[in-house]
Amino acid sequence: MSESNINKEMVENLLAQDPPTVDKQRHHQEILFKKLKLRIWRGKIIGGTIYIILFSAAFLAFQQRRNTDNLVHSICWGAASLHILLWFLIYFLRGIYRMTAGISEKNSGKDEKQRWKKQDRFITIVAILVFAFASTILYRSFFLNDPLRAAHLAASIFWATVFFLFWYPFGTASLVAKLWLEYKKMEMNIPRNSGQDSEMQVE
Amino acid sequence: MEQDNISNAILVLKCQRRDEKAFREIVNRWEPRLYYYLRRIVENENDVWDILQETWLAVFQNIRKLQEPLKFSTWLYKIGHNKAVNLLRKENRYIQMKEEQAKDYRENDNSVINVKERTEIVHKMLDKLKLAHSEVLTLYFLEGFSISEMAQIIGISEGTAKSRLYYAKNKLYEVLKGANDV
Repeated sequence: MSESNINKEMVENLLAQDPPTVDKQRHHQEILFKKLKLRIWRGKIIGGTIYIILFSAAFLAFQQRRNTDNLVHSICWGAASLHILLWFLIYFLRGIYRMTAGISEKNSGKDEKQRWKKQDRFITIVAILVFAFASTILYRSFFLNDPLRAAHLAASIFWATVFFLFWYPFGTASLVAKLWLEYKKMEMNIPRNSGQDSEMQVE
Repeated sequence: MEQDNISNAILVLKCQRRDEKAFREIVNRWEPRLYYYLRRIVENENDVWDILQETWLAVFQNIRKLQEPLKFSTWLYKIGHNKAVNLLRKENRYIQMKEEQAKDYRENDNSVINVKERTEIVHKMLDKLKLAHSEVLTLYFLEGFSISEMAQIIGISEGTAKSRLYYAKNKLYEVLKGANDV
């Protein structure tokens, strides 16, 4: 009998010495999967609620723009609705970027992972600061009297937003390209090796 | 063995995509071993079921963070170990580990013991050894973990894991030798 067979047999025998009670196991699994389903639903509900709240906020801001008689307020509410929607889009794009990076990271070394983490942390902090700064400018522009100046300020806050709207999709695209190149390299290597093997066999 | 590892890794990847079926499969596959391991640490069966529940919930919550699916078993046992130790610490039982009572088991009638009898002795020994020693021995017999993997799971240095395993194996060897001599 081989060693691995003995080990397998031994593990089975060992487990048989103190097996879980079938009823208790079934009961435990029922509760476990009920809890898991609840967690999945909770996650979906939270995500959905955030999504609905943000869209409602953006829509209400847009409606407010139409309802107000004050031109400055009208400009600012319009900018606010776009501000909310675009930052929500940035958050969504960031999620895709991080997911792609997670796949790409699996093949990279420890140093590269560390470098990527540092970069990601830095960009996230900058994004939060930019969002806070832009929101403050937008809030302050509500109290202006000159509609032209309010329009200038409202337009200026979107420059920073546009930077992130470019950063994340381009980052994702470069990661996807990197992954595709790695896949192609792998694909090109496999037949070459198998060909060499078959040549060696012929010799 | 290699095939098992690969099929496990595939299941882990599916779980990372929130596949409930794959998660069920993983639970069914690993629960008896994890249960056995936790039983060696925690005496109360109800506590073991609670720890198992917490462990699986933590696994489900964090499986996306697992970078290397092939190291799932080490990661799973580490979570189980931490949950068990947390419970014991909460109840101040972690310090009062089981006293070592390794006795010779010479009650066997046969002159040469077979795998089943040997397993029974191992099982009895695991319950009699100090928690620190029985834990490494359980991991060694159940999963065949390397010293570094055991150290990672328990959260100790490799040197400590090595010496614990050495001591536990020696004790076990003495008992098995005694049983064979009878």
